[in-house]
Amino acid sequence: MASKTRRWKQTVTLLAFVFPALLFYAVFLLASAFGGIWYSFTDWNGLNPIYKWVGFGNYIEALTGDPVFLNSVGFTLKYVVCIVVFQNLIALGLAILIESRGRGKAWFRTIFFMPNMMSMIIGGFMWLFIFTKVLPYIAEHTLLHALDQSWIGDPRFSFIAIMIVSLWGGAGYLMVIYLAALQGVPQSLKEAAAIDGAGSFQTLRNITLPMIYPAITIGLFVTLNSSFKAFDVIYALTGGGPGRATQVLALNIYEEAFKMSNRFGYASAKAMILFLFVFLVTLIQLWVMKKREVEV
Amino acid sequence: MSDSGSYGRRMGSALILLILLVGAVFTLFPVYMGVLNSFKTQGAMMNDMMAFPSQLEFKNYADAIHKTSFSRSLWNTVVVTAVGLFGIILFAAMAGYKLSRTPGKLSGFLFGLFVMSMLIPFHSIMITLTRIAKELAVQGSRVGLGMIYIGIGVSMAIFLYHGFVKSVPRELDEAAVIDGCGEFRLFAVVIFPLLLPITATIAILNTLWMWNDFLLPLLMLTDFKTYTLLLSTNMLFGEYGNNDWSAILSSLILAMLPMIVLYLILQKYILNGIAEGAIKG
Repeated sequence: MASKTRRWKQTVTLLAFVFPALLFYAVFLLASAFGGIWYSFTDWNGLNPIYKWVGFGNYIEALTGDPVFLNSVGFTLKYVVCIVVFQNLIALGLAILIESRGRGKAWFRTIFFMPNMMSMIIGGFMWLFIFTKVLPYIAEHTLLHALDQSWIGDPRFSFIAIMIVSLWGGAGYLMVIYLAALQGVPQSLKEAAAIDGAGSFQTLRNITLPMIYPAITIGLFVTLNSSFKAFDVIYALTGGGPGRATQVLALNIYEEAFKMSNRFGYASAKAMILFLFVFLVTLIQLWVMKKREVEV
Repeated sequence: MSDSGSYGRRMGSALILLILLVGAVFTLFPVYMGVLNSFKTQGAMMNDMMAFPSQLEFKNYADAIHKTSFSRSLWNTVVVTAVGLFGIILFAAMAGYKLSRTPGKLSGFLFGLFVMSMLIPFHSIMITLTRIAKELAVQGSRVGLGMIYIGIGVSMAIFLYHGFVKSVPRELDEAAVIDGCGEFRLFAVVIFPLLLPITATIAILNTLWMWNDFLLPLLMLTDFKTYTLLLSTNMLFGEYGNNDWSAILSSLILAMLPMIVLYLILQKYILNGIAEGAIKG
Protein backbone atom coordinates (compact mmCIF):
# COMPACT_ATOMS: atom_id res chain seq x y z
CA MET A 1 0.00 0.00 0.00
CA ALA A 2 2.73 2.39 1.00
CA SER A 3 4.76 1.48 -2.07
CA LYS A 4 1.72 2.01 -4.27
CA THR A 5 1.21 5.56 -3.05
CA ARG A 6 4.93 6.14 -3.49
CA ARG A 7 4.77 4.91 -7.08
CA TRP A 8 1.75 7.13 -7.66
CA LYS A 9 3.56 10.12 -6.21
CA GLN A 10 6.57 9.37 -8.36
CA THR A 11 4.46 9.34 -11.52
CA VAL A 12 2.77 12.63 -10.64
CA THR A 13 6.12 14.29 -9.99
CA LEU A 14 7.48 12.97 -13.27
CA LEU A 15 4.53 14.37 -15.20
CA ALA A 16 4.78 17.71 -13.39
CA PHE A 17 8.45 18.05 -14.35
CA VAL A 18 7.96 16.95 -17.93
CA PHE A 19 4.74 18.84 -18.60
CA PRO A 20 6.07 22.30 -19.65
CA ALA A 21 8.54 20.82 -22.14
CA LEU A 22 5.96 18.36 -23.42
CA LEU A 23 3.35 21.07 -23.91
CA PHE A 24 5.51 23.20 -26.26
CA TYR A 25 6.89 20.11 -27.93
CA ALA A 26 3.49 18.57 -28.60
CA VAL A 27 1.81 21.76 -29.81
CA PHE A 28 4.52 22.96 -32.16
CA LEU A 29 6.52 19.93 -33.17
CA LEU A 30 4.47 16.76 -32.82
CA ALA A 31 1.26 18.35 -34.09
CA SER A 32 3.14 19.80 -37.07
CA ALA A 33 4.78 16.49 -37.87
CA PHE A 34 1.55 14.48 -37.73
CA GLY A 35 -0.39 17.23 -39.45
CA GLY A 36 2.16 17.18 -42.24
CA ILE A 37 1.70 13.45 -42.75
CA TRP A 38 -2.07 13.95 -42.90
CA TYR A 39 -1.97 16.89 -45.32
CA SER A 40 0.45 15.08 -47.61
CA PHE A 41 -2.45 12.82 -48.57
CA THR A 42 -4.79 15.72 -49.38
CA ASP A 43 -5.13 18.46 -51.98
CA TRP A 44 -5.26 21.22 -49.34
CA ASN A 45 -4.18 24.65 -50.60
CA GLY A 46 -3.49 26.22 -47.22
CA LEU A 47 -6.49 28.53 -47.18
CA ASN A 48 -9.57 26.68 -48.25
CA PRO A 49 -11.09 24.85 -45.28
CA ILE A 50 -12.50 22.26 -47.67
CA TYR A 51 -10.05 19.78 -49.07
CA LYS A 52 -10.21 16.19 -50.11
CA TRP A 53 -8.24 13.02 -49.61
CA VAL A 54 -6.12 12.09 -52.62
CA GLY A 55 -4.29 9.04 -51.27
CA PHE A 56 -0.79 8.67 -52.66
CA GLY A 57 -1.59 11.04 -55.52
CA ASN A 58 0.80 13.76 -54.33
CA TYR A 59 3.63 11.29 -53.87
CA ILE A 60 3.07 9.78 -57.29
CA GLU A 61 2.98 13.23 -58.88
CA ALA A 62 6.18 14.31 -57.14
CA LEU A 63 8.10 11.18 -58.09
CA THR A 64 6.83 10.77 -61.66
CA GLY A 65 5.30 13.98 -62.97
CA ASP A 66 7.48 16.77 -61.57
CA PRO A 67 10.84 17.09 -63.34
CA VAL A 68 11.73 20.18 -61.29
CA PHE A 69 11.35 18.22 -58.07
CA LEU A 70 13.31 15.27 -59.42
CA ASN A 71 16.04 17.62 -60.54
CA SER A 72 16.19 19.08 -57.06
CA VAL A 73 16.48 15.57 -55.59
CA GLY A 74 19.35 14.86 -57.97
CA PHE A 75 21.05 18.15 -57.22
CA THR A 76 20.64 17.58 -53.47
CA LEU A 77 22.22 14.13 -53.69
CA LYS A 78 25.15 15.52 -55.67
CA TYR A 79 25.55 18.30 -53.10
CA VAL A 80 25.33 15.86 -50.17
CA VAL A 81 27.99 13.54 -51.57
CA CYS A 82 30.41 16.39 -52.32
CA ILE A 83 29.88 18.05 -48.92
CA VAL A 84 30.25 14.83 -46.94
CA VAL A 85 33.51 13.98 -48.70
CA PHE A 86 35.17 17.38 -48.92
CA GLN A 87 34.00 18.89 -45.66
CA ASN A 88 35.33 15.94 -43.69
CA LEU A 89 38.59 15.72 -45.63
CA ILE A 90 39.28 19.43 -45.24
CA ALA A 91 38.25 19.54 -41.58
CA LEU A 92 40.32 16.47 -40.71
CA GLY A 93 43.28 17.79 -42.69
CA LEU A 94 43.13 21.16 -40.96
CA ALA A 95 42.79 19.53 -37.55
CA ILE A 96 45.80 17.28 -38.12
CA LEU A 97 47.93 20.14 -39.42
CA ILE A 98 46.94 22.45 -36.57
CA GLU A 99 47.50 19.74 -33.97
CA SER A 100 51.00 19.12 -35.35
CA ARG A 101 52.01 22.71 -34.63
CA GLY A 102 53.28 23.98 -31.33
CA ARG A 103 52.72 27.69 -31.67
CA GLY A 104 49.76 29.43 -33.25
CA LYS A 105 47.34 26.55 -32.61
CA ALA A 106 44.75 28.72 -30.91
CA TRP A 107 44.95 31.39 -33.58
CA PHE A 108 44.24 29.03 -36.45
CA ARG A 109 41.44 27.34 -34.53
CA THR A 110 39.83 30.70 -33.84
CA ILE A 111 40.06 31.86 -37.45
CA PHE A 112 38.82 28.67 -39.09
CA PHE A 113 35.79 28.43 -36.81
CA MET A 114 34.85 32.10 -37.24
CA PRO A 115 32.44 31.67 -40.21
CA ASN A 116 30.27 29.39 -38.05
CA MET A 117 29.39 32.33 -35.84
CA MET A 118 27.43 34.01 -38.60
CA SER A 119 24.36 32.96 -40.49
CA MET A 120 25.00 31.56 -43.93
CA ILE A 121 22.58 34.19 -45.17
CA ILE A 122 25.18 36.82 -44.25
CA GLY A 123 28.05 34.62 -45.46
CA GLY A 124 26.22 33.92 -48.71
CA PHE A 125 25.59 37.60 -49.47
CA MET A 126 29.21 38.40 -48.65
CA TRP A 127 30.45 35.73 -51.04
CA LEU A 128 28.01 36.92 -53.68
CA PHE A 129 29.94 40.18 -53.58
CA ILE A 130 33.21 38.27 -53.97
CA PHE A 131 31.93 36.21 -56.91
CA THR A 132 30.16 38.95 -58.83
CA LYS A 133 32.41 41.95 -58.12
CA VAL A 134 35.76 41.11 -56.56
CA LEU A 135 36.81 38.13 -58.67
CA PRO A 136 36.02 39.84 -62.01
CA TYR A 137 37.93 42.86 -60.72
CA ILE A 138 40.96 40.75 -59.80
CA ALA A 139 40.79 38.97 -63.16
CA GLU A 140 40.77 42.27 -64.96
CA HIS A 141 43.68 43.81 -63.08
CA THR A 142 45.99 40.84 -62.66
CA LEU A 143 47.07 37.82 -64.63
CA LEU A 144 44.46 35.59 -62.98
CA HIS A 145 42.09 35.86 -65.94
CA ALA A 146 40.59 32.46 -65.15
CA LEU A 147 38.78 34.04 -62.19
CA ASP A 148 36.48 35.94 -64.51
CA GLN A 149 33.67 33.43 -64.80
CA SER A 150 29.96 33.61 -64.58
CA TRP A 151 30.15 32.17 -61.05
CA ILE A 152 26.48 32.61 -60.30
CA GLY A 153 24.94 32.62 -63.77
CA ASP A 154 26.42 29.41 -65.17
CA PRO A 155 25.15 26.19 -63.53
CA ARG A 156 28.55 24.49 -63.72
CA PHE A 157 30.27 27.33 -61.91
CA SER A 158 27.43 28.06 -59.54
CA PHE A 159 27.77 24.54 -58.16
CA ILE A 160 31.44 25.24 -57.49
CA ALA A 161 30.51 28.57 -55.92
CA ILE A 162 27.98 26.87 -53.64
CA MET A 163 30.55 24.27 -52.64
CA ILE A 164 33.16 26.92 -51.84
CA VAL A 165 30.80 28.87 -49.62
CA SER A 166 29.41 25.76 -47.91
CA LEU A 167 32.89 24.45 -47.15
CA TRP A 168 34.01 27.88 -46.00
CA GLY A 169 31.06 28.01 -43.62
CA GLY A 170 31.05 24.42 -42.41
CA ALA A 171 34.57 23.00 -42.28
CA GLY A 172 35.51 24.92 -39.12
CA TYR A 173 32.71 23.29 -37.12
CA LEU A 174 33.93 19.78 -37.89
CA MET A 175 37.53 20.87 -37.40
CA VAL A 176 36.72 21.73 -33.77
CA ILE A 177 35.24 18.25 -33.28
CA TYR A 178 38.25 16.57 -34.87
CA LEU A 179 40.68 18.68 -32.86
CA ALA A 180 38.97 17.62 -29.64
CA ALA A 181 39.26 13.99 -30.72
CA LEU A 182 42.94 14.35 -31.69
CA GLN A 183 43.73 15.83 -28.29
CA GLY A 184 42.28 12.68 -26.75
CA VAL A 185 44.90 10.48 -28.43
CA PRO A 186 47.46 9.61 -25.72
CA GLN A 187 50.87 11.18 -26.41
CA SER A 188 52.54 8.04 -25.07
CA LEU A 189 51.12 5.95 -27.91
CA LYS A 190 52.56 8.28 -30.52
CA GLU A 191 55.92 8.36 -28.75
CA ALA A 192 56.00 4.58 -28.55
CA ALA A 193 55.35 4.39 -32.28
CA ALA A 194 58.12 6.90 -32.95
CA ILE A 195 60.57 4.85 -30.86
CA ASP A 196 59.59 1.79 -32.87
CA GLY A 197 60.70 3.71 -35.93
CA ALA A 198 57.34 4.79 -37.35
CA GLY A 199 57.37 7.93 -39.48
CA SER A 200 54.82 10.65 -38.87
CA PHE A 201 52.68 9.41 -41.76
CA GLN A 202 52.72 5.85 -40.43
CA THR A 203 51.83 7.07 -36.94
CA LEU A 204 48.94 9.00 -38.42
CA ARG A 205 47.62 6.00 -40.33
CA ASN A 206 48.13 3.30 -37.77
CA ILE A 207 47.69 5.10 -34.46
CA THR A 208 45.91 8.43 -34.79
CA LEU A 209 43.20 7.66 -37.34
CA PRO A 210 42.01 4.42 -35.70
CA MET A 211 41.92 6.24 -32.34
CA ILE A 212 39.61 8.95 -33.64
CA TYR A 213 37.25 6.66 -35.55
CA PRO A 214 34.25 7.59 -33.36
CA ALA A 215 34.78 11.27 -34.19
CA ILE A 216 34.95 10.48 -37.89
CA THR A 217 31.63 8.64 -37.65
CA ILE A 218 30.14 11.68 -35.93
CA GLY A 219 31.61 13.96 -38.59
CA LEU A 220 30.17 11.88 -41.43
CA PHE A 221 26.67 11.92 -40.05
CA VAL A 222 26.72 15.54 -38.95
CA THR A 223 27.53 16.49 -42.54
CA LEU A 224 25.03 14.02 -44.03
CA ASN A 225 22.28 15.41 -41.86
CA SER A 226 23.05 19.06 -42.38
CA SER A 227 23.67 18.83 -46.12
CA PHE A 228 20.30 17.19 -46.80
CA LYS A 229 18.72 20.22 -45.13
CA ALA A 230 20.85 22.90 -46.82
CA PHE A 231 18.86 26.05 -47.45
CA ASP A 232 20.47 29.33 -46.33
CA VAL A 233 23.62 29.17 -48.47
CA ILE A 234 21.71 28.52 -51.64
CA TYR A 235 18.92 30.98 -50.86
CA ALA A 236 21.46 33.77 -50.39
CA LEU A 237 23.95 32.86 -53.10
CA THR A 238 21.98 31.71 -56.14
CA GLY A 239 18.36 31.62 -54.99
CA GLY A 240 18.25 28.20 -56.65
CA GLY A 241 19.23 29.63 -60.02
CA PRO A 242 20.16 30.07 -62.76
CA GLY A 243 16.67 28.92 -63.62
CA ARG A 244 16.28 26.19 -61.06
CA ALA A 245 19.61 24.52 -61.69
CA THR A 246 20.80 24.74 -58.08
CA GLN A 247 17.50 24.26 -56.30
CA VAL A 248 17.93 21.95 -53.32
CA LEU A 249 15.06 19.96 -51.79
CA ALA A 250 14.43 22.34 -48.91
CA LEU A 251 14.23 25.29 -51.29
CA ASN A 252 11.93 23.38 -53.64
CA ILE A 253 9.56 22.61 -50.75
CA TYR A 254 9.67 26.22 -49.55
CA GLU A 255 8.86 27.60 -53.00
CA GLU A 256 6.11 25.07 -53.62
CA ALA A 257 4.39 25.92 -50.35
CA PHE A 258 4.98 29.63 -49.94
CA LYS A 259 6.04 31.18 -53.24
CA MET A 260 4.44 29.62 -56.28
CA SER A 261 1.37 27.51 -56.01
CA ASN A 262 0.40 27.42 -52.32
CA ARG A 263 -0.23 23.73 -52.83
CA PHE A 264 0.29 22.88 -49.16
CA GLY A 265 -0.83 19.28 -49.56
CA TYR A 266 1.53 18.65 -52.43
CA ALA A 267 4.40 20.45 -50.71
CA SER A 268 3.75 18.37 -47.58
CA ALA A 269 4.23 15.20 -49.62
CA LYS A 270 7.60 16.52 -50.82
CA ALA A 271 8.46 17.37 -47.21
CA MET A 272 7.71 13.76 -46.23
CA ILE A 273 10.01 12.53 -48.97
CA LEU A 274 12.78 14.72 -47.50
CA PHE A 275 12.00 13.28 -44.07
CA LEU A 276 12.29 9.74 -45.43
CA PHE A 277 15.75 10.54 -46.83
CA VAL A 278 16.95 11.87 -43.47
CA PHE A 279 15.26 9.01 -41.63
CA LEU A 280 16.98 6.43 -43.83
CA VAL A 281 20.36 8.05 -43.27
CA THR A 282 19.79 8.03 -39.51
CA LEU A 283 18.80 4.36 -39.50
CA ILE A 284 21.99 3.52 -41.37
CA GLN A 285 23.91 5.64 -38.88
CA LEU A 286 22.48 3.79 -35.88
CA TRP A 287 23.13 0.45 -37.56
CA VAL A 288 26.75 1.33 -38.35
CA MET A 289 27.40 2.63 -34.84
CA LYS A 290 25.93 -0.46 -33.22
CA LYS A 291 27.93 -2.75 -35.46
CA ARG A 292 31.13 -0.90 -34.67
CA GLU A 293 30.43 -1.04 -30.94
CA VAL A 294 30.09 -4.80 -31.17
CA GLU A 295 33.36 -5.06 -33.07
CA VAL A 296 35.22 -2.94 -30.52
CA MET B 1 71.88 11.76 -41.61
CA SER B 2 70.48 13.57 -38.61
CA ASP B 3 71.14 16.86 -40.41
CA SER B 4 69.07 15.91 -43.43
CA GLY B 5 66.36 14.57 -41.07
CA SER B 6 66.05 17.86 -39.22
CA TYR B 7 66.20 19.73 -42.54
CA GLY B 8 63.31 17.62 -43.83
CA ARG B 9 61.37 18.20 -40.67
CA ARG B 10 61.90 21.96 -40.91
CA MET B 11 60.72 21.94 -44.51
CA GLY B 12 57.67 19.90 -43.52
CA SER B 13 56.88 22.28 -40.71
CA ALA B 14 57.25 25.28 -43.03
CA LEU B 15 54.94 23.63 -45.56
CA ILE B 16 52.31 23.00 -42.89
CA LEU B 17 52.52 26.61 -41.78
CA LEU B 18 52.14 27.75 -45.39
CA ILE B 19 49.03 25.62 -45.97
CA LEU B 20 47.45 26.87 -42.74
CA LEU B 21 48.25 30.48 -43.61
CA VAL B 22 46.69 30.13 -47.06
CA GLY B 23 43.62 28.60 -45.41
CA ALA B 24 43.42 31.42 -42.89
CA VAL B 25 43.69 34.07 -45.61
CA PHE B 26 40.97 32.31 -47.59
CA THR B 27 38.72 32.19 -44.51
CA LEU B 28 39.16 35.85 -43.69
CA PHE B 29 39.18 37.14 -47.28
CA PRO B 30 35.42 37.72 -47.82
CA VAL B 31 35.03 39.40 -44.44
CA TYR B 32 38.11 41.54 -45.06
CA MET B 33 36.86 42.59 -48.48
CA GLY B 34 33.45 43.32 -47.00
CA VAL B 35 34.83 45.54 -44.26
CA LEU B 36 37.25 47.26 -46.63
CA ASN B 37 34.63 48.21 -49.20
CA SER B 38 31.92 49.05 -46.70
CA PHE B 39 33.93 52.19 -45.92
CA LYS B 40 34.05 53.37 -49.55
CA THR B 41 31.55 55.20 -51.68
CA GLN B 42 30.15 53.20 -54.56
CA GLY B 43 32.37 55.17 -56.96
CA ALA B 44 35.55 54.66 -54.95
CA MET B 45 34.75 50.97 -54.71
CA MET B 46 34.36 50.50 -58.45
CA ASN B 47 37.52 52.51 -58.99
CA ASP B 48 39.72 50.34 -56.81
CA MET B 49 38.27 47.40 -54.94
CA MET B 50 41.45 46.22 -53.26
CA ALA B 51 42.78 49.53 -51.97
CA PHE B 52 42.39 50.94 -48.51
CA PRO B 53 39.70 53.60 -48.50
CA SER B 54 41.33 57.00 -48.98
CA GLN B 55 38.86 58.40 -46.48
CA LEU B 56 36.54 56.46 -44.24
CA GLU B 57 32.98 56.77 -45.49
CA PHE B 58 30.73 56.33 -42.47
CA LYS B 59 27.65 57.36 -44.38
CA ASN B 60 27.14 53.76 -45.54
CA TYR B 61 26.83 52.66 -41.93
CA ALA B 62 24.54 55.51 -41.00
CA ASP B 63 22.31 54.55 -43.95
CA ALA B 64 22.36 50.85 -43.07
CA ILE B 65 21.52 51.55 -39.43
CA HIS B 66 18.64 53.73 -40.53
CA LYS B 67 17.27 51.51 -43.29
CA THR B 68 17.40 48.24 -41.38
CA SER B 69 16.24 49.91 -38.13
CA PHE B 70 19.32 48.33 -36.67
CA SER B 71 18.67 48.88 -32.98
CA ARG B 72 15.10 47.65 -33.22
CA SER B 73 16.11 44.58 -35.27
CA LEU B 74 18.87 43.84 -32.78
CA TRP B 75 16.43 44.09 -29.88
CA ASN B 76 13.92 41.84 -31.68
CA THR B 77 16.62 39.22 -32.19
CA VAL B 78 17.57 39.46 -28.50
CA VAL B 79 13.93 39.03 -27.41
CA VAL B 80 13.35 35.98 -29.60
CA THR B 81 16.61 34.33 -28.56
CA ALA B 82 16.12 35.12 -24.86
CA VAL B 83 12.58 33.71 -24.74
CA GLY B 84 13.69 30.57 -26.55
CA LEU B 85 16.80 30.12 -24.44
CA PHE B 86 14.99 30.63 -21.13
CA GLY B 87 12.31 28.08 -21.98
CA ILE B 88 14.65 25.51 -23.48
CA ILE B 89 17.04 25.56 -20.52
CA LEU B 90 14.44 25.60 -17.75
CA PHE B 91 11.97 23.12 -19.22
CA ALA B 92 14.57 20.75 -20.64
CA ALA B 93 16.56 20.71 -17.39
CA MET B 94 13.42 19.83 -15.41
CA ALA B 95 12.32 17.15 -17.86
CA GLY B 96 15.80 15.73 -18.47
CA TYR B 97 16.48 15.48 -14.73
CA LYS B 98 13.25 13.70 -13.82
CA LEU B 99 13.27 11.42 -16.86
CA SER B 100 16.79 10.36 -16.00
CA ARG B 101 15.95 9.72 -12.33
CA THR B 102 12.63 7.92 -12.78
CA PRO B 103 12.69 4.28 -13.85
CA GLY B 104 9.78 2.63 -15.63
CA LYS B 105 7.89 2.40 -18.88
CA LEU B 106 6.23 5.80 -18.82
CA SER B 107 9.53 7.56 -18.33
CA GLY B 108 11.15 5.56 -21.12
CA PHE B 109 8.25 6.27 -23.45
CA LEU B 110 8.36 10.02 -22.83
CA PHE B 111 12.11 10.15 -23.33
CA GLY B 112 11.76 8.21 -26.57
CA LEU B 113 9.02 10.56 -27.71
CA PHE B 114 11.32 13.55 -27.27
CA VAL B 115 14.38 11.95 -28.83
CA MET B 116 12.41 10.71 -31.82
CA SER B 117 11.93 14.23 -33.13
CA MET B 118 15.67 14.74 -33.51
CA LEU B 119 15.19 12.75 -36.73
CA ILE B 120 12.71 15.20 -38.21
CA PRO B 121 14.13 17.90 -40.48
CA PHE B 122 12.65 21.35 -39.93
CA HIS B 123 11.58 21.61 -43.55
CA SER B 124 9.29 18.62 -43.07
CA ILE B 125 7.24 20.34 -40.38
CA MET B 126 7.37 23.99 -41.46
CA ILE B 127 4.27 23.96 -43.64
CA THR B 128 1.90 22.70 -40.98
CA LEU B 129 3.73 24.74 -38.35
CA THR B 130 2.84 28.02 -40.07
CA ARG B 131 -0.77 26.89 -40.05
CA ILE B 132 -0.72 26.00 -36.34
CA ALA B 133 1.03 29.27 -35.51
CA LYS B 134 -1.67 31.17 -37.33
CA GLU B 135 -4.45 29.29 -35.54
CA LEU B 136 -2.88 29.95 -32.14
CA ALA B 137 -2.28 33.60 -33.08
CA VAL B 138 1.45 33.38 -32.34
CA GLN B 139 2.38 34.15 -35.94
CA GLY B 140 3.80 37.65 -36.18
CA SER B 141 4.84 37.83 -32.54
CA ARG B 142 8.41 37.77 -31.28
CA VAL B 143 7.50 36.01 -28.05
CA GLY B 144 5.45 33.55 -30.09
CA LEU B 145 8.48 32.83 -32.25
CA GLY B 146 10.54 32.25 -29.10
CA MET B 147 7.90 29.80 -27.91
CA ILE B 148 8.08 27.86 -31.17
CA TYR B 149 11.85 27.64 -30.70
CA ILE B 150 11.19 26.09 -27.29
CA GLY B 151 9.01 23.42 -28.91
CA ILE B 152 11.62 22.62 -31.55
CA GLY B 153 14.68 22.94 -29.32
CA VAL B 154 13.78 21.07 -26.12
CA SER B 155 14.43 17.58 -27.53
CA MET B 156 18.16 17.92 -27.97
CA ALA B 157 18.53 19.77 -24.67
CA ILE B 158 16.57 17.05 -22.84
CA PHE B 159 18.83 14.46 -24.42
CA LEU B 160 21.96 16.27 -23.22
CA TYR B 161 20.59 16.90 -19.69
CA HIS B 162 19.38 13.30 -19.46
CA GLY B 163 22.91 12.04 -20.08
CA PHE B 164 24.56 14.55 -17.78
CA VAL B 165 22.28 13.95 -14.79
CA LYS B 166 23.61 10.37 -14.55
CA SER B 167 26.91 11.84 -13.34
CA VAL B 168 25.19 13.68 -10.47
CA PRO B 169 25.15 11.39 -7.40
CA ARG B 170 21.71 10.20 -6.35
CA GLU B 171 22.60 10.48 -2.66
CA LEU B 172 22.17 14.24 -3.03
CA ASP B 173 18.49 13.81 -3.94
CA GLU B 174 17.87 11.48 -1.05
CA ALA B 175 19.69 13.60 1.52
CA ALA B 176 17.71 16.65 0.45
CA VAL B 177 14.40 14.76 0.63
CA ILE B 178 15.23 13.56 4.16
CA ASP B 179 15.90 17.18 5.08
CA GLY B 180 12.31 17.86 4.08
CA CYS B 181 13.07 19.62 0.85
CA GLY B 182 10.23 19.60 -1.71
CA GLU B 183 10.80 18.24 -5.20
CA PHE B 184 10.86 21.59 -6.98
CA ARG B 185 13.04 23.21 -4.36
CA LEU B 186 15.42 20.27 -4.52
CA PHE B 187 15.68 20.77 -8.26
CA ALA B 188 16.09 24.54 -8.11
CA VAL B 189 18.50 24.75 -5.19
CA VAL B 190 20.52 21.53 -5.33
CA ILE B 191 20.33 19.97 -8.78
CA PHE B 192 20.18 22.83 -11.28
CA PRO B 193 23.41 24.51 -10.10
CA LEU B 194 25.21 21.17 -10.53
CA LEU B 195 24.10 21.03 -14.17
CA LEU B 196 25.96 24.24 -15.00
CA PRO B 197 28.59 22.70 -17.33
CA ILE B 198 26.03 21.12 -19.64
CA THR B 199 23.76 24.17 -19.31
CA ALA B 200 26.59 26.29 -20.72
CA THR B 201 26.96 23.93 -23.69
CA ILE B 202 23.21 23.95 -24.31
CA ALA B 203 23.06 27.74 -24.05
CA ILE B 204 25.87 28.15 -26.60
CA LEU B 205 24.47 25.67 -29.13
CA ASN B 206 20.96 27.10 -28.93
CA THR B 207 22.02 30.74 -29.03
CA LEU B 208 24.01 30.08 -32.20
CA TRP B 209 21.07 28.26 -33.74
CA MET B 210 18.31 30.74 -32.90
CA TRP B 211 20.34 33.89 -33.50
CA ASN B 212 21.44 32.71 -36.93
CA ASP B 213 18.21 31.03 -37.98
CA PHE B 214 16.63 32.58 -41.02
CA LEU B 215 13.80 30.45 -42.37
CA LEU B 216 11.57 30.19 -39.30
CA PRO B 217 11.56 33.97 -38.64
CA LEU B 218 10.94 34.48 -42.36
CA LEU B 219 7.80 32.36 -42.10
CA MET B 220 6.62 33.72 -38.75
CA LEU B 221 7.39 37.44 -38.60
CA THR B 222 5.27 39.30 -41.07
CA ASP B 223 5.54 42.86 -39.80
CA PHE B 224 8.67 44.91 -40.45
CA LYS B 225 8.55 46.18 -36.86
CA THR B 226 9.19 42.67 -35.56
CA TYR B 227 11.96 41.77 -38.03
CA THR B 228 15.13 40.19 -36.68
CA LEU B 229 18.58 41.28 -37.86
CA LEU B 230 18.69 38.68 -40.62
CA LEU B 231 15.23 39.54 -41.91
CA SER B 232 15.88 43.26 -42.16
CA THR B 233 19.26 42.62 -43.79
CA ASN B 234 17.59 40.30 -46.27
CA MET B 235 14.95 42.92 -46.96
CA LEU B 236 17.57 45.59 -47.57
CA PHE B 237 19.34 43.23 -49.95
CA GLY B 238 16.10 42.62 -51.81
CA GLU B 239 15.60 46.37 -52.21
CA TYR B 240 19.07 47.29 -53.38
CA GLY B 241 19.75 44.01 -55.10
CA ASN B 242 23.04 43.69 -56.77
CA ASN B 243 23.56 47.36 -57.39
CA ASP B 244 24.50 49.32 -54.33
CA TRP B 245 27.05 47.01 -52.75
CA SER B 246 28.67 49.59 -50.50
CA ALA B 247 25.34 50.05 -48.70
CA ILE B 248 24.69 46.31 -48.48
CA LEU B 249 28.16 45.44 -47.24
CA SER B 250 27.90 47.78 -44.28
CA SER B 251 24.58 46.21 -43.29
CA LEU B 252 26.14 42.73 -43.55
CA ILE B 253 29.03 43.77 -41.32
CA LEU B 254 26.59 45.24 -38.80
CA ALA B 255 24.47 42.09 -38.81
CA MET B 256 27.42 39.80 -38.10
CA LEU B 257 29.01 42.12 -35.54
CA PRO B 258 27.15 40.99 -32.37
CA MET B 259 28.08 37.35 -32.83
CA ILE B 260 31.67 38.13 -33.78
CA VAL B 261 32.07 40.24 -30.63
CA LEU B 262 30.52 37.45 -28.56
CA TYR B 263 32.93 35.01 -30.18
CA LEU B 264 35.98 37.10 -29.39
CA ILE B 265 34.93 37.34 -25.73
CA LEU B 266 33.74 33.77 -25.16
CA GLN B 267 35.61 31.78 -27.78
CA LYS B 268 37.10 29.28 -25.34
CA TYR B 269 33.67 28.34 -24.01
CA ILE B 270 32.09 28.35 -27.45
CA LEU B 271 34.67 26.03 -29.00
CA ASN B 272 34.51 23.67 -26.01
CA GLY B 273 30.72 23.73 -26.11
CA ILE B 274 30.68 22.81 -29.81
CA ALA B 275 33.00 19.84 -29.28
CA GLU B 276 31.10 18.73 -26.18
CA GLY B 277 27.68 18.99 -27.83
CA ALA B 278 28.74 17.03 -30.89
CA ILE B 279 30.36 14.20 -28.96
CA LYS B 280 27.45 13.75 -26.57
CA GLY B 281 24.71 14.50 -29.09
